[in-house]
Amino acid sequence: MMEISHETLVAIAKSWGLFYFIAMSIGVLIYTFWPRNRKRFARAKLIVLDKEDRPCS
Amino acid sequence: MPEIHRKLERTAIGFALAIIAVSSIGGLVEIAPLFTIDETVEKVEDMRVYTPLELAGRNIYMREGCYACHSQMIRTLRDEVERYGPYSLAVESQYDHPMLWGSKRTGPDLARVGGKYSDEWHVAHLADPRAVVPESKMPAYAWLQRNALRTHDLSAHLVALRRVGVPYSDEMVENAARDAFGQAFPDGAMAEGVAERYGDDTNIRAFDGDPGRLTEMDALVAYLQILGQLTDAPHQKEAGEQLVQAEEAE
Amino acid sequence: MRLIAGLTTTERQTGLFLAGLVTLMGAALGIAGRNDLLGYHGLLIVVFGAVIMIALLRNLDAPEPEESRLSEYYDDPIRFGIVLTMVWAVFAMFIGVWVSALLAWPELTFDAAWASFGRLRPVHTTGVIFGFGGNALIATSLHVVQRTSRARLPDQVSPWFVLLGYNLFCLLAVTGYFLGITQSKEYAEPEWYADIWLVIIWVTYFVLYIRTLARRKEPHIYVANWYFMAFILVVAVLHIINNLAVPVSFGSAKAYSAFSGVQDAMTQWWYGHNAVAFFLTAGFLGMMYYYLPKRAERPIYSYRLSIISFWGITFLYLWAGSHHLHYTALPHWVQTLGMTFSIVLLVPSWASAGNALLTLNGAWHKVRDDATLRFMMVAAVFYGLTTFEGSFLAIRAVNSLSHYTDWTVGHVHAGALGWVAMITFGALYTLTPSLWKRERMYSNSLVEVHFWCAVIGTFIYVFAMWNSGIIQGLMWRTYNDSGTLTYSFIESLVAMHPYYIARTVGGLFFLTGAVVGTYNILMTIRHEPRPLRERAETLGADQPLVPGE
Repeated sequence: MMEISHETLVAIAKSWGLFYFIAMSIGVLIYTFWPRNRKRFARAKLIVLDKEDRPCS
Repeated sequence: MPEIHRKLERTAIGFALAIIAVSSIGGLVEIAPLFTIDETVEKVEDMRVYTPLELAGRNIYMREGCYACHSQMIRTLRDEVERYGPYSLAVESQYDHPMLWGSKRTGPDLARVGGKYSDEWHVAHLADPRAVVPESKMPAYAWLQRNALRTHDLSAHLVALRRVGVPYSDEMVENAARDAFGQAFPDGAMAEGVAERYGDDTNIRAFDGDPGRLTEMDALVAYLQILGQLTDAPHQKEAGEQLVQAEEAE
Repeated sequence: MRLIAGLTTTERQTGLFLAGLVTLMGAALGIAGRNDLLGYHGLLIVVFGAVIMIALLRNLDAPEPEESRLSEYYDDPIRFGIVLTMVWAVFAMFIGVWVSALLAWPELTFDAAWASFGRLRPVHTTGVIFGFGGNALIATSLHVVQRTSRARLPDQVSPWFVLLGYNLFCLLAVTGYFLGITQSKEYAEPEWYADIWLVIIWVTYFVLYIRTLARRKEPHIYVANWYFMAFILVVAVLHIINNLAVPVSFGSAKAYSAFSGVQDAMTQWWYGHNAVAFFLTAGFLGMMYYYLPKRAERPIYSYRLSIISFWGITFLYLWAGSHHLHYTALPHWVQTLGMTFSIVLLVPSWASAGNALLTLNGAWHKVRDDATLRFMMVAAVFYGLTTFEGSFLAIRAVNSLSHYTDWTVGHVHAGALGWVAMITFGALYTLTPSLWKRERMYSNSLVEVHFWCAVIGTFIYVFAMWNSGIIQGLMWRTYNDSGTLTYSFIESLVAMHPYYIARTVGGLFFLTGAVVGTYNILMTIRHEPRPLRERAETLGADQPLVPGE
């Protein structure tokens, strides 16, 4: 393995870790509030309440 | 982005990979640097490895779940340093596979218990804790005195530890079982080799008070008596310096 | 053997082959370890495999199951899993009461190694977390994934392999502690061979889950399955890395951890913390997101919020492990990182708890009348409380007081009793009648009894440990006027005595509830409850009989 100094690793952790964290949050928020997903989520909400107790064939 | 997520979901495998990717970052960031830095573990010249007898004792300590009630990690807090002694350094558990820092103190911390009490005290206390400390909640371990110690596979134990990085020499491996006997029989022929291999400061005594028999009690007491004694490093920091650092950390 | 009659002949043969393989492996371990404790475990595996082989052999010629089974869900292993869950609950909680009693009255045991506190304690923790919790998760996850995908499990062998194999792992773990086999890593005590076996089981579990999802008829994967998937995957990663070890030999139960000292501590608590996160949180959140709306007959309050909190939990938890090692020899920046993320973690945690409670908003009359729903409501409240307490305890200054004390034990039990066990009981009471095609549980009043036992038990337990933990922490750091420590260690221990008794009483309440629950579930399985009309006549017609009516 290449020699990586402690400072480099910590720097990577601090900068990229933060960047990654922000990017991920934004990504999740976009997905969640994307208008076209509204219908899917509305449908998903009701899956649980489905009364029919057998698989679709 | 939503399209990507939709595809991820469609193929459940992709979704699984996303979970792994998202979740593993934290662990990598926290743990990976610990393996590359030198500062994590101080360099200490006098740090020695466990003798076979102490190692067997350590395994008994683990087997009986002692770590569930006793920690071996003095934190950098003033009251802990005053109660138990100099705070624990990373180097002290350098050869501990696994570490036994513990997470609960139903009983006191044991990181510096080595040499604090006599062998007789330990034997009496382990056999019947309430005979020594009436308020104690500790279980009695009377059977340790009855059980003979298993020594025949100690060499294999040392080899396994060598594979994970503990510097046992060929000589130590070869003589593991002999050394276990030797350390508990100060007058026997096998005692000499122990000091030769592990240093003159090694405790060589009939730990359980009965030189005629090598028991699990011998091993456990030998281990307890070496706790905090494998290196001098924590004591070399001046007591004052220890306290100052502890205060700062607070 | 109705369970075996449901398998096709090919599946019975496959099962026979697998059981034979397990038996052979056990024999190999037993022979290699004949001079070691490992020998007992070899024998245990042989017996386990042989029992399954005999059961299969005796029914090998039973008629083929009907084709019509394919248009139904495959629930046999789930039913079996529910019974196993309750058996483990009673066993492990009994051991829990025993070990807690030992702390109050240390002589309450035998002069034998297996019965000492140090060996019994991991039996309790493993039995509850892996035996009770694990079986509940496997059973409910297989139920939820079929219902929300509207697809039957892809085959009938792998679910049995997962369930039975997993219980073999639990048996190896628990019997190992009695015998003195442990690698002493907290919450990961089983030795190398049991660990390898669990990896095999877990991979099969994952593949089974993915295959079922791939057969789904719904376009979208319901969020409960996300949590179950995160549970399966991350636990696999944690388990493999934390248990890396070098065995002394093939014939020895003992192995030495690949890590030592600081690295081992960090790895261990990275594992320990995230076992809590993904085993005891993500998995049970999956349970909550299905059974709570189901029982309340209301859709989850906000589906979007559940997605956001899912990714939040998945991302943030893994950073937080180091808060278990404040003020230790671990580098300072790692401690700070862990503390920061532990506090941020409160956001998705409370989002989940809030989501659950808001789902119930507008259905409080159901919560009032239905103990099953109340179980799940209390679970959500405790989930919120425990995650708050968790973030609080992760703050360095607080941790300096609470660490090593009973406060931690209280915190863990607020989570384990208040959240994990309550949500499980709620889910099981929802699931049992529907799986056995009963109108309702055998006795609703017994569910009520169980509920109150559980709530009272949890409160007594948690309050006792809060008190003892804080007192203990304060006594350890109290100085007198002359600047020396006021209390000796043993004085702090003596002060704990009344709380240890109270804790045992709390545990006893909780155990009683679990016994009542087990009885109720078994009776539901055995008897159809009396028809409602008949009961109505004896009770008077104006009383509400079915929750929510």
